[in-house]
Amino acid sequence: MGKLNLPKLSRGNKVRTGVLVLALMLPFLPFVTDYILHIVIIVYLYMLLALGLNIVPGFNGLLDLGYVGFYGIGAYTSGLLTVHFGLSYWLIIPLAFINGAIWGILLGAPTLRLTGDYFAIVTFGFSELVVLFLTNEIWLTRGPLGLPGIEPVSLDLSLFGGPKWEFVGELPYYYLAIVMVAVTVFVMHRIQDSRLGRAWFAIRDDEVAAVSCGISLLTYKVIAFAISAAFGAVGGSFFARWVTFLSPDMFKFWESFLILCMIVLGGMGNIWGVMIGAWYWFL
Amino acid sequence: MFLQQLVNGLTIGGIYAMIAVGYTMIYGVIQLINFAHGEIYMLGAFFAFTFISFLGLPFYAAFLLSMACCAVCGMLLDIFAYRPLRQSPRLAALITAIGMSIFLQNLAMVIWGSRPKPFPQGALPAYFEETAVTFSGVSLSWFHLFIFAITLMMMIGLNLIIQKTRWGKAMRAVAQNKTMAALTGINVNRVISYTFALAGSLGGAAGIMVGAYYNSLYPTMGYIAGVKAFAAAVLGGIGSVPGAMLGGVVLGVAEALGAGYLSSLYRDGISYAVMIIVIILIPAGLFGKLIKETKKSM
Repeated sequence: MGKLNLPKLSRGNKVRTGVLVLALMLPFLPFVTDYILHIVIIVYLYMLLALGLNIVPGFNGLLDLGYVGFYGIGAYTSGLLTVHFGLSYWLIIPLAFINGAIWGILLGAPTLRLTGDYFAIVTFGFSELVVLFLTNEIWLTRGPLGLPGIEPVSLDLSLFGGPKWEFVGELPYYYLAIVMVAVTVFVMHRIQDSRLGRAWFAIRDDEVAAVSCGISLLTYKVIAFAISAAFGAVGGSFFARWVTFLSPDMFKFWESFLILCMIVLGGMGNIWGVMIGAWYWFL
Repeated sequence: MFLQQLVNGLTIGGIYAMIAVGYTMIYGVIQLINFAHGEIYMLGAFFAFTFISFLGLPFYAAFLLSMACCAVCGMLLDIFAYRPLRQSPRLAALITAIGMSIFLQNLAMVIWGSRPKPFPQGALPAYFEETAVTFSGVSLSWFHLFIFAITLMMMIGLNLIIQKTRWGKAMRAVAQNKTMAALTGINVNRVISYTFALAGSLGGAAGIMVGAYYNSLYPTMGYIAGVKAFAAAVLGGIGSVPGAMLGGVVLGVAEALGAGYLSSLYRDGISYAVMIIVIILIPAGLFGKLIKETKKSM
């Protein structure tokens, strides 16, 4: 993984900077309407989700069919905390992250001993249970009626003597999504090249060899699953505050499948490939 | 109350068992979770609907004809969707299976429309509604008995096919080792297609009976039934045919009793919960042996 080929790296960085500049300028191009912006935000959201999911099948070689369960958990965490406690979105991001990670550990710790299809089935069952819970626990989630009236994101600078800035329209969300994707990409890159990432690749390529190198399979897999779940939950929290309405139907199994398709299309385990795969939604 | 729930559970459990057997046979032969199997079941119900309403066939003829159609559908599914992917990674085949499931669902919506349809009740034999047996407050209609009888017959027939015929022997050989089976002169691809046909016909029969029993057909009916049957297959030990039969019945009873005594809202949740608990505690299921993965799943 060590990219020491310096000239090539700098060319890659040029391309990346170019793409980032293009993304930042996109809303001001003449043909871009609110509708297009809306679609592109969805693509960015799926990019975030796909990057999160990528950890499990891409870095660890485990099939996860229940990713949307964590997405739903994150979305409802965000929605309920906003509706009932009026928390600021900047506080909700870490809370959703932690909540996603907790559920990831709860599901992962007993089930990650399983391999292949068995693990895939468990995750699938989990996501269906999440949808059922969201549908049936009407006292908490209002069930199939959905959860309306979630406040949009606002940036409150009054503590520093600044103004309170409500996010209206698509433009602020567009930049918020870019920031979130950029942070995720940064984190993923750092993880990929860290000890943790190397351990994951070792597990993916050969479990027996990984164990004999002193890598604890279960620990590393649970960490991977928890991080993946946490990013799914963050994606959900953004989704909730952006569309301001939630219903259990949004978190059906097909969403997991769609995100999985993006990863497979873009090339599993490759961060940039996965991001390009997210544009699949655009088609 | 208890007995009535038990009877309901056994009825629906037998039907789950018939679908579950299809999952488990296909998994046994090519280690693929055939997500599109639930859609074959849905097609079975719609074929019967079409044969009765538009061709005016009697119920029994329509029953047999749609089973045959489902068998053909199963084979086509294998030939067009899975055969080209035989040598590719397992993930590719799995995604194809989910994709085929979505495709068939949408195809059914295009052909038959997405609104739920009643089963043509006039075509059912009149005595189906009449009470056949009554004991301690529970009444069984002839329709219940019909479902029991069909389920039992098919299960016995299936066991005979697998255990006694040359074809069944070939199926078992392919399930154990494809290369070795091919070396002994078995046409592996054809055996796999036949397995799909057998699974499809059983699934189709289940679909017709459910369609007639609940009197409603809709294109997404295959999804939930497929998932539950899959849970049943897991419960029995995936890859094991008797396990799937028992798993289906157990799951049906558990679901009926759970819906009756705990909460009918979580009726579907019971199967998922059973599935997850079984996989965590006894991944091999009641009857199965844990399949060691020979190929990497990715």
